[in-house]
Amino acid sequence: MSDDRSFEELQKELEDIVARLERGDVPVDDAIALFRRGEELFKTCVSRLQGAELRIEELSASDASE
Amino acid sequence: MAKVEPILYGDRKVFTVSSFNRGVASYLGRLPAVWVEGEVTELRRNEAWATVFLTLKDPKTGATLKVTIGRRTFDRLELALEEGETVHVSGRAELYELKGELGLRATTIERIGLGGHLLALERLKRQLAAEGLFAQARKRSLPRLPRAVGILTGADAAARGDLVATIGARFPAAKVVICEARVQGKGAPATIVAALATLAAHPEVDVVVLARGGGSFEDLLPFSDEAVVRAVAACAVPVVSAVGHEQDTPLCDLAADARAATPTAAGALVVPDLDELSASLERSHRRLVLSVRNLLERDSERLARLGERLRAAPHLLLERRRAGLDHTGARLQTLSPLATLDRGYAIVRAGAVAIRDASAVQVADRLEIELATGELGARVEDVRS
Repeated sequence: MSDDRSFEELQKELEDIVARLERGDVPVDDAIALFRRGEELFKTCVSRLQGAELRIEELSASDASE
Repeated sequence: MAKVEPILYGDRKVFTVSSFNRGVASYLGRLPAVWVEGEVTELRRNEAWATVFLTLKDPKTGATLKVTIGRRTFDRLELALEEGETVHVSGRAELYELKGELGLRATTIERIGLGGHLLALERLKRQLAAEGLFAQARKRSLPRLPRAVGILTGADAAARGDLVATIGARFPAAKVVICEARVQGKGAPATIVAALATLAAHPEVDVVVLARGGGSFEDLLPFSDEAVVRAVAACAVPVVSAVGHEQDTPLCDLAADARAATPTAAGALVVPDLDELSASLERSHRRLVLSVRNLLERDSERLARLGERLRAAPHLLLERRRAGLDHTGARLQTLSPLATLDRGYAIVRAGAVAIRDASAVQVADRLEIELATGELGARVEDVRS
């Protein structure tokens, strides 16, 4: 899944889903759909955290004048 | 010195250029001596000349003023002035008569001292504060996980190294985009502004750190420059100021969205700690799984109870029916002729017909007599009707 939103937004959606499920006033069909969505968000968030090495890019200020 | 006298053309008084210039020059010569502040540009000193020329520039508006000063006077000041330095010049307005050019004839030049800088800084600080540039309400929150961290730094390796090391240690998957700028001396503000714009324009940079190690008061002045402070406040992404040491407060600190005392502290502000973040994600995930399981269990319990009630329903119905039947059976029982027999009555039949009337039979007819228990076969001996 590719989601252009920021990590915060994804994490926020995940937390909102958890909160809804914990409140418990969700019909079963919706609960299962929400759960699937939550799983997906969790995986996306985790994948964003992965990466073993710091990437460094150097710019020079003159680039700005182009 | 020729007098300033007009030539008369009838009623019209006309001055020659020279006399006009001389007149203005003598008028200007009556003005008092003043101090003028500006940036030194176009400084020209030549051993062969008796006069040193320079131009003072107002950094805000670009307005310029020509300044002349005697070479010996200038040399005695031992200023070793460089272009771009801010100075105070004391002198009088003067007109260069041959060209009609206004200038300032200087008697002395002073490099703006610490006191002067402090006053200028204080003035700028008050002005920018009045504009609301430092207001708490303007401060943006930093992204929890920026796609890339922009780092604006000088050639100064220590601040940059500390910052990059902290970011790498806390969050290995991070990306940093580094842009070097001249961070001190003449021209620094312009390159800082340009570098800030370059970083903010990078598609992944979500936050910028100004990383500049400690330095003298003068060294850090570019970070209090009005153009830099305004650029920090107007930057498209949040800015963390990590300039100088704890005790320094360059104005960019006040305009930035967050301030860090050291590059290490700045690193901790701009990227999350991977372990903490992973733990919080895992917590959310556990809660997700648990909550949906609870929900489903609760629902399946409810379902099971419904199922039990459903299965029990026909059974109950039968029970109820059976009770009803038993009652009816009992009632039926009381009406049964057999119960009557129990009380000592008998049923007499001739063939299949129950006899109710004695005249229905004749002597010697065969009769069947049914008792409560067993039957008797009998013959009629006499009929009394």
